[in-house]
Amino acid sequence: MNRNAIFGSIAAITLILIGILFYGLFFASNPQSIPSALIGTKASDFTITTFKGERIHLKELRGKPVVLNFWASWCVACRQEAHIIEAAHQEYTPKGAVFIGIAINDTREASLGFIRRYGKSYLLGPDDTLGNISLNYGVTAVPETFFIDRQGVIVHKVLGAVTGNDIQNFLSPRL
Amino acid sequence: MKKLLLILLFLLAPIMLFADEEMENKVREIAHQLRCPTCQALSVKESDAGLASNMKMKIRSMLEEGKSEQEILDFFIQRYGEWILRSPQKTGFNLVLWLGPGFLVLLSGLGVILVVRKKTAHALSGEITPLSAKEKAEIEKDMEGIE
Repeated sequence: MNRNAIFGSIAAITLILIGILFYGLFFASNPQSIPSALIGTKASDFTITTFKGERIHLKELRGKPVVLNFWASWCVACRQEAHIIEAAHQEYTPKGAVFIGIAINDTREASLGFIRRYGKSYLLGPDDTLGNISLNYGVTAVPETFFIDRQGVIVHKVLGAVTGNDIQNFLSPRL
Repeated sequence: MKKLLLILLFLLAPIMLFADEEMENKVREIAHQLRCPTCQALSVKESDAGLASNMKMKIRSMLEEGKSEQEILDFFIQRYGEWILRSPQKTGFNLVLWLGPGFLVLLSGLGVILVVRKKTAHALSGEITPLSAKEKAEIEKDMEGIE
């Protein structure tokens, strides 16, 4: 191997390693740009008691598309999407969809205040004390919305405020 | 009976405290290996974010259930992906990341040694590299200018 080939190889390997480093630093460290490890897997089962006292078991909703939203009263983007989810619930729940909102790291009083303020009327309840439901869904921040199909498989996830289009794109072909 | 209970409590208290301290250290050790999902530059151990606190409580609860460190890490990897680990696992493609820098240093060192040895051997041999035709022509041209 001549000298040029040796230096060429070293330079190429160096550039590749620097490339990987920059990719990791600027493109692979933001949770928003990393696809969820749960897409295409069965949605983790859970039971919640809603703020109205209703008991909801995800497994029992099998056969219906579910929009599962994680939110908190202190989260700014949750205010942004509150009306969007409520409007979608009014439109799609009568057609067979299910909307569930799970409040995480929030107090009951604050959650109830938020629900009243934004007129949220779908199935809303708190996560358990350990935050098991949000941890099982690999929630990285609020709001985060999971779209679960009729077979109970997570098909899509939106990190940040969900849009009407996100919900429509998921529900329209499934209802 | 009351006295006996008090003595027992007095004797067991340090053991219980030590056990709790040991558990807390283990929680911290595992939490240090996990990236806080909400705040990017911190570990779960360093973060006070709500989700990071939940993760610490979950680690503690899993340790109390008798789960091993690897089982706990796997629990989080399964849900968050390998991204949740602050250091990539030493398997598969990740080995490139772990071994790459060392390999690069080794390769660079080898390159330097080869070049230095070649130059030293050349200098010691006393061999004179003959001029190329182009170099000869250039020298002759310059000499003509001087004369």
